[in-house]
Amino acid sequence: MRLDINTYHEIADSLLRNKSRSLLTGFGIFWGLFMLLVMLGAGDGIKGLLTENFEGFASNAAIIVSSNTSVPYKGFQEGRYWELEYRDMERLKKLIPELDVVTPMISQWGQNAVYNSLSTSANVTGVNADYVAIEAPVMKYGRFLNEVDVERGRKVCVIGKRIYQDLFPDGGDPCGTFIQVGSVFFQIVGVNVSSGMMNINGSTEQKVIIPATIAQQLYNRGESVDILCATAKSGIHMTELETRVRQVLGREHFFDPDDEPAMMFLDTEQIFSLIDTLFRGVDFLILLIGLGTLFAGAVGVSNIMMVTVKERTVEIGIRRAIGATPSDILSQIMLESVSLTLIAGMFGIMFSVMSLSVAEMIVRSSGEFNPAFQISFGLAVAAAALLALLGVVAGLAPALRAMNIKPVDAMRDE
Amino acid sequence: MLIELKDVNKTYNNGQPLHVLKGINLDIDRGEFVSIMGASGSGKSTLLNILGILDNYDTGEYYIDGRLIKNLTEKQAADYRNRMIGFIFQSYNLIGFKTAVENVELPLFYQGVARKKRHQMAMEYLDRLGLADWAKHYPNEMSGGQKQRVAIARALITRPQIVLADEPTGALDSKTSVEIMELLQQLNREDKMTIIVVTHESGVANATNKIVHIKDGIIGQIEDNRAHSASVFGTSTIMK
Repeated sequence: MRLDINTYHEIADSLLRNKSRSLLTGFGIFWGLFMLLVMLGAGDGIKGLLTENFEGFASNAAIIVSSNTSVPYKGFQEGRYWELEYRDMERLKKLIPELDVVTPMISQWGQNAVYNSLSTSANVTGVNADYVAIEAPVMKYGRFLNEVDVERGRKVCVIGKRIYQDLFPDGGDPCGTFIQVGSVFFQIVGVNVSSGMMNINGSTEQKVIIPATIAQQLYNRGESVDILCATAKSGIHMTELETRVRQVLGREHFFDPDDEPAMMFLDTEQIFSLIDTLFRGVDFLILLIGLGTLFAGAVGVSNIMMVTVKERTVEIGIRRAIGATPSDILSQIMLESVSLTLIAGMFGIMFSVMSLSVAEMIVRSSGEFNPAFQISFGLAVAAAALLALLGVVAGLAPALRAMNIKPVDAMRDE
Repeated sequence: MLIELKDVNKTYNNGQPLHVLKGINLDIDRGEFVSIMGASGSGKSTLLNILGILDNYDTGEYYIDGRLIKNLTEKQAADYRNRMIGFIFQSYNLIGFKTAVENVELPLFYQGVARKKRHQMAMEYLDRLGLADWAKHYPNEMSGGQKQRVAIARALITRPQIVLADEPTGALDSKTSVEIMELLQQLNREDKMTIIVVTHESGVANATNKIVHIKDGIIGQIEDNRAHSASVFGTSTIMK
């Protein structure tokens, strides 16, 4: 193979001689790569946006809610309602040592939060300090509830983002001020701006979080608890503990441990793995479509190169007659194919990077999200390498055909 | 002897076997100006292809300058063609999207000669053939005679031992034909170039010094034509 400046001239010449054909052929590659990269970038970006919603939520937690029994058990009729109670926390922890945190939640819906002349609807939620293990708060101001708050039953609260915006439209640190919730005044100790989409018992943004001990007294709940949240110790799957939780609670509250509807056991691990599978499916689809389109483009290049070789039989014959070796011809056709693929593909990479940047800007300008659509540099390099490979593969068949053109063919076609 | 053919046979096997060359024996010495004449189908084109290492023969022996040309690899054949043989074709066979000078350069490109050097050499040869002003023109901007002279420059640039011309005047009018033949004569006379012309025109053959008649795959008469009196159509023109 002889490489000098004329080689490049020849490649440019032969590609430019048939501009529209090269353009259309190149478009196949361009579009394939553009689609692949845009979809990969956007797919990753959307995945990022979605996972942001689950951020801070324990991925190995269970939410336990009592419900009506569906079978008679130990002399009790079916359809009986039972209630979770405070002492279940201790029982679960003692009998199932694999559990890490077990924490209660008491909710009172549809309360009114009032500050000065402003008011907004709020869901009051009583929790313990260790609730942060389930749903990590994002504190803009102040702190979350601590153990002393809960132990002493202090009338303090952490307000959600929406409540903060509604009651303090001018912004500023509201910690220390008192707001009226229902008929009771609470002192704000923190603002939780967590905006995750995964919430228990209502949106976190709309919550006024108070110590569980206060909620108990305030709303006359006695020993009963609405929801128990639990996390498993590291290395232990929550799913494996479900049966034992049912056995412990069933024995205490007289429902059949095999009675599924009697107790709701929501396993976040399952939800996360479902989402994971979904993402993997989407990734696979993207690769399938993107690579498929790219491959179709490469087939197009191969086809056109075939036609080119056919058209240039005489020219190739002349070259052979005046001393071109078969490998000279092979490399010439190969280089043309690789050049066409690479140039078209580079435009594909450029345009996809541009499009993703624009998409990022547009989404960001809406203020809600902070997406990362852009493809990585490594991915772009990998795409370029893939292009070179495709060019070689596409050029192989036409180049071999060109190589087999005999010099006498130049004279035959007179 | 520059060229020696010993009992060369060639059969084409396209469905019905066609015995084209039936034992060709031919010697051509260095500096000769020979024409091979014959009707179409006589085997003269096949003979030219074998002489030009464009095609293989079945039996016999073909020597160029004492070297046996048989069972060559494609690469070797390409190399021999490039260094030992210059081709002139009836239809010029210039590459249409290359300028005159680029066409002339091409054999040197395949020899791996540096760009500047081959450009300079190509310009020299074009200048010798009176085409220096046309160097940057494309073949379709030139007349038939000019195109053929570019082709001759391309054939000469590698300083080959043999120039093979296949109906070099076939596509030219009679005046230009005479000019081209005179040019070939001049090359033979002044540069001692060995030239073999394949033709079916007696006027063209008459311009050469030796006429080899081929008929039905065998060589008939070999005519000494140094007097240039062979043409039945006269001595000074080429009958079209």
